[in-house]
Amino acid sequence: MKDNVVLWARGLTKSYGKIQALRGIDLEVRRGEMFGFLGPNGAGKTTAIRCMLDLIRPQGGTLRVLGFDPQADPVAVRARVGYLPGELHMDDNYKVKDQLRYYKDLRSNHIDWDFVQQLARRLNLDLAMPIKNLSKGNKQKVGIVQALMSRPELLLMDEPTSGLDPLMQHEVYRLLREAQAEGSTVFFSSHIISEVEILAERVAIIRQGLIVEEADPHRLVEMSLRRIRVRFSEAIDPTPLAEIEGITLLSNNKGTSVHLQVEGEMDSLIKALGAYRVRDIKIDRPSLEDIFLTYYKDEDKEEETN
Amino acid sequence: MFAEFKHTLRRLRGQLLGWGIGLALYSLMMTSFYDSIAGMEGIYELLKGYPQDLMAFFGDSMFAIGTPDGYLDLYFFGYMAIFIGVLAAGMGSALLVGDEEKGILDLVLAYPVSRSALFWGRFMGFVSTLALILFASWFSWLVAPSSLGLSGVELLRPFLPLLAVLLFFGSLALLLSMLLPSARSAGTFCGGLLIANYLLIGLSNMNENLEALIEFTPLYYYQGGDAVFDLNWVWLGGLLGAAIIFTLLAWWRFQRRDIRVGGEGGWRLAALSLPFRRQRTKSG
Repeated sequence: MKDNVVLWARGLTKSYGKIQALRGIDLEVRRGEMFGFLGPNGAGKTTAIRCMLDLIRPQGGTLRVLGFDPQADPVAVRARVGYLPGELHMDDNYKVKDQLRYYKDLRSNHIDWDFVQQLARRLNLDLAMPIKNLSKGNKQKVGIVQALMSRPELLLMDEPTSGLDPLMQHEVYRLLREAQAEGSTVFFSSHIISEVEILAERVAIIRQGLIVEEADPHRLVEMSLRRIRVRFSEAIDPTPLAEIEGITLLSNNKGTSVHLQVEGEMDSLIKALGAYRVRDIKIDRPSLEDIFLTYYKDEDKEEETN
Repeated sequence: MFAEFKHTLRRLRGQLLGWGIGLALYSLMMTSFYDSIAGMEGIYELLKGYPQDLMAFFGDSMFAIGTPDGYLDLYFFGYMAIFIGVLAAGMGSALLVGDEEKGILDLVLAYPVSRSALFWGRFMGFVSTLALILFASWFSWLVAPSSLGLSGVELLRPFLPLLAVLLFFGSLALLLSMLLPSARSAGTFCGGLLIANYLLIGLSNMNENLEALIEFTPLYYYQGGDAVFDLNWVWLGGLLGAAIIFTLLAWWRFQRRDIRVGGEGGWRLAALSLPFRRQRTKSG
C-alpha cells in the first residue's frame, strides 16, 4: 500500500446470511482526492463504508483506512474520520446544540465550537431547535455539521445531499470542496449521477457488491459509447462504415443520413468519413448517467439470462 | 467512557426523577404509617381471618407486620423487586440494542470511542441510575419521623439485595438483548421471568413440591426485609456474581457484534426466520 493511499481494500467480502452484500471489493483512494462511490440502492455502498468504520465486520479481504486496520484499531480510524450515515438517526429528545455537544464530548472536546456555529449558519441550521421538530433536510444538515466539525483527515459521506433542497446541495458541495482544499480526503457515496459528475475527481461504480469500473468521470465518459448522426450531401452505401471495428449502424435513412454508435476512439470513423461529402455531423456525448445505465442494463440482461 | 456515562445519566433522567421521587414519597408515606399500623389492636386476629391460601402465598411476613423488618418487607421490599425489576429489565434491554434499533448507534460508534468504553460507560450510567433511585428511597425511610428505630446502616442492608436483584435482571436483559431478535423481546422475556419467579415463590409456600424448584431461581436468594438484621452476604454475592457474569457475556457479545441498520439483515434469528421463508416460497 502506497503512502498517499488513505483507503485501500482488496477482496473485501461481507454477507448477511445468504445475501452477499460485498463480493470482493478492490478499492484505492488517494490522499486529498474527492472520490465518488456510485451505485443504486442495495449495491453495497453503505456496507462498504460501514466496514471502514468497524461498525460491521467483513468476512474476507483486507482493508486499511489511513494506514490502520479498522478491526484492529477502530478508535484510531474514527479519531481521523468524519462520517455521515446514509440513514441519520439521533436522539429526538435533544436540541441540536446538545446533540452536537455530545458528539464534541465523544471527540474529547477537540472541536472548535465557533467553527460549528459557522457551519450551522452556512447551512441555515437553528442550533436551538429540538431534533424531533426538524425536517429530514434539517436533520441532514446536523449530520453534515457533525461530520465536518472535527476537520477530519477523511470524510466518509453516505449520500451527503439526501433530503436537501438544490440551494443547500450546492452549499454542501462548496463545504466539501473547502474541506478538500484544507487537506481532507472526501469519499462519498451517491446514486445521484449529476452529483458525482460535479464533485468527484474519480469514481467507482459498484454493482451487486463488486466494483465494475473505477476511473476519472470525464475519462469514463470518453471511454464510453457515443452516438453520431451524419448527414451526407448525396446518398451513400453505409456498409463500409458499419464494418469498422467498434462501429454499429443504428439506423440508415436512404443513405443520406446515418445514425452510428461508436465504442472507443473515433479516429477510424473520422478517416472513413473523409471518403464522402459530409454535410453535417452531430455527436451526442453521453452523460455519466448513460454510462451508469449501461452497466445496469448489462446486469438486467444477465439476470434475464439466468 | 465518561462522556457515555454522562449521556446515559442524562437520557435516564426521566426514569431517575419519576421513580426516585415517586418511591421517595411512597417511602415517606409508609414510614409515617408504621406507628399506627404496628400499634393497631386486633390486627393479628384480623390477619388470621384471611383465607389460608392467601396468607400462605405471602409467607410469614404478614405476621411480622409489627416489627421494623417485617413491616419493611411487607410494604416495600417484598414487591419492589418486581416493580423496579421490570423497570431494570426494560432499561437493561434497551441500553444498547434500543439505540441500535433506532439507528442512533451507527453514528455514535463512528466517533473515537471503543465498543468497550461505550458499553461500560452506558452500563455504569444504568447502575448509577438504579442506585440513585434506591438512594432516594433509603433517604426517605431514614429521615421520616417514625418509631421504626433503625439506623442508617440497618436500613441500608435490605437495599443491597434489592440492588443486586435489580442488577441481576437488568444485566440478564442486557445479555438477552444481544442474543434475541429485539430489545423488546429481551425486555419482555426477562420481565416475564421475574414475574413468573415471584409467583412461583408464592406458590411454593402453598405447595411443598415446588420448594426444590425455587432454589434454582434468583428471587429465592433475595432476602427482602429480612436483611435488616441478618444480611446473607453469600446470597448477595451470588446475585451480584451472576449479574457480573451476565454483564461480561453481554460485553463479549457486543464486542463481536455487527451494528445493525435497517435493510442490512440480521434482525431475526436465522433459525427463527428460516421456516417462515420456506412457507412463503411454497405458498408463492
